[in-house]
Amino acid sequence: MLKPTGFTTKLIHSPFAKDDVNRALHQPIYSNSAFDFESAEQMELSFQGRLPVHSYSRVSNPTVENFELRIKQMTGSLNVTALSSGMAAISNTIFVLAYAGSNILVSKHLFGNTYVFFESTIKDFGIEIRFCDLTNTEEVQANIDNKTALVFVETITNPQLEVVDLEKLSRVAHENNVPLIADSTLTPPNVFKAKDFGVDIEVISSTKCISGGATSIGGLIVDYGTFDWGKSQKLASLAKRFGSFAFNQKLRREVFRNLGACLSPFAAYLQNLGLETLQLRFEKASENCQKLVRFLETIPEVKAVNYPGKVGSPFYEISKHQFGKFPGAILTFDFASREKCFTFLNKLELIKRATNIYDNKTLIIHPASTIYCDFDKCIRESLGVSDLTLRLSLGIEDIEDLKNDILQALN
Amino acid sequence: MGKIQVNGNEQEIEVPISLLELIKKNNVEQPDMVSVQINGEFLPRENFTTTLLYEGDEVDFLYFMGGGARC
Repeated sequence: MLKPTGFTTKLIHSPFAKDDVNRALHQPIYSNSAFDFESAEQMELSFQGRLPVHSYSRVSNPTVENFELRIKQMTGSLNVTALSSGMAAISNTIFVLAYAGSNILVSKHLFGNTYVFFESTIKDFGIEIRFCDLTNTEEVQANIDNKTALVFVETITNPQLEVVDLEKLSRVAHENNVPLIADSTLTPPNVFKAKDFGVDIEVISSTKCISGGATSIGGLIVDYGTFDWGKSQKLASLAKRFGSFAFNQKLRREVFRNLGACLSPFAAYLQNLGLETLQLRFEKASENCQKLVRFLETIPEVKAVNYPGKVGSPFYEISKHQFGKFPGAILTFDFASREKCFTFLNKLELIKRATNIYDNKTLIIHPASTIYCDFDKCIRESLGVSDLTLRLSLGIEDIEDLKNDILQALN
Repeated sequence: MGKIQVNGNEQEIEVPISLLELIKKNNVEQPDMVSVQINGEFLPRENFTTTLLYEGDEVDFLYFMGGGARC
């Protein structure tokens, strides 16, 4: 039997968990809450996890499962869980691995909500957060101890666009028996093979590129089964029974179902559709981004352009190594003043002022006055968020239209 | 003949028996999605083809629904 090898072919032709009775080519939407059982015995076996059937859609659902299985096939991972948002993916992962008295190593360069989750929400549960420079392996080593539950990193930080050498970071983490968790939202699985770089658990906001260009909110936890959970203080006893499935057992049988942040079947359906065109859209948006980087550098009013895939960026080589030709479709650029940033934003006609990334439309935001508005200027600077910077997330429009919009907004 | 516990139920069976044979004999649903525990310990999928079961073994077939155990 012919075995497809291409990323998109494999994705589009991946089978359902069970054959559809009507031979539908897309997984139908099962929007119901509960499922019937043939007998009390079948019901008991299902609740014990001894039958592969669904019981209640907060726990599992056929439409959501189909999305999970496709991500699993696409990533070559051991287990995938789809959740209601990217933040749900992060918080569920942390609840599985961290415990009161443990600590987490993380960079300060983070997406705004992730930063507040670590800096405030999690701290209230007795978990210490150690902010350190993850690009500096000596600093990472100095901060790890036997209470370190995990190291958390963004593959490209947002909005600083910093890139960590993941092979180096995972080596330090693993030498200390600590799992590496990576948020790879900016570098979806078609360009970034997390397992190859030592990532144990990948968290993704599927809201962004995977959903089809911001069609719905969703998140993913991708478990590669690479970490020896017997070395995790929290999961060691589960590892004796479940081996490489220990993380998944704790997640699916406890944390995920009890926190209740399940993905809705309708969102799963949309995200499944989006997934089929992921590669096409991401490559187009990335090409647009690279063209706009070159274009913005020719404009005198633009004081700086930041993109990890730009020759001259301190992260150019490592980006190329980790993400190949397409290191994301997000760039930032600076004007001379905050006022100039606002004037420019207000004059844009095609490019949308919006707080999201990887829509099919190009989106722009002034991070300092929006995502980071709750922080004073001093903290914003320590987070690498400048008043002079705009973040542009490229869509799939025709590039000349985007250039024309920028030019008319400058005049 | 010998006794093996399968999902909590005793079965009188010719032992030793290979795990794959036991899966077939018990009509285990969606075998590509099942996880196996033997005497309370998780069995890595790469050992499925070589594992033999003996008198007194306790075997559990488990599923992690939702993108779980399909290896």
